[in-house]
Amino acid sequence: MTGEYLIEGLAVPESLNLLHDLLARVGEEHPDLDPGDLMLFETAVIEVAGNVVEHGRPPGSVSWSFRLTVLPERLEATLSDSGEEYPGGTWGTSMPDDLMQEDGRGLALATAVLDSLDYERTEGANHWTMLRARG
Amino acid sequence: MSESQTAVLQPTGRLNMVAAPAFKNLVEETVASGQTRIVVDLGEVTFIDSSGLGALIAGLKATRQAGGDLRIADVPEQVMTVLRLTNLDRVLRAHPSVADASHDW
Repeated sequence: MTGEYLIEGLAVPESLNLLHDLLARVGEEHPDLDPGDLMLFETAVIEVAGNVVEHGRPPGSVSWSFRLTVLPERLEATLSDSGEEYPGGTWGTSMPDDLMQEDGRGLALATAVLDSLDYERTEGANHWTMLRARG
Repeated sequence: MSESQTAVLQPTGRLNMVAAPAFKNLVEETVASGQTRIVVDLGEVTFIDSSGLGALIAGLKATRQAGGDLRIADVPEQVMTVLRLTNLDRVLRAHPSVADASHDW
């Protein structure tokens, strides 16, 4: 079964719960979807979105749209945000060496649970594309 | 030290960027009140993100700096997976239950 989902809003912490709710709906509407795949995909989505909430500039006024597609062979989602270009355009995909460090794990965690995470800057927006093959 | 100094904290629902700051404050207040041995019962947590992990690490540091420790118990699958992927299972060992985590400090 396939399906498309779209959500739009402001990149603020409270919006993360709307993404969680959307992912829960995806699970309900796709009982054939492996709960483990969905759980890990949700983990990635929330980390990528959390990264935009935390680092998006100017803070509090970045808007985003999130589009998710359930395909027979994979889960695919793109988070597009209106913020300034993400510094450097790349990110660290390794976990911090210091286990007692409190932050810096978000995108590394997303990378670990996805088959691919791509960042693109086009037409004044940031696009984060997440892909996970279905088990 | 007696077990009366052990505090059990039970966050519920999603321990994400929305909930993590309040949880971190709760741990700090608990330590400040003199309860430096903290068991975090994760049985009712449905989802954790890196902010939630950061709050647990902050709590671990706060308790240890005060001469205590922080332990986690009844850890759900998503939380366990994320702990393993971040290698934090090395510093936050999962106990099967609160009772199991509450003795032999």
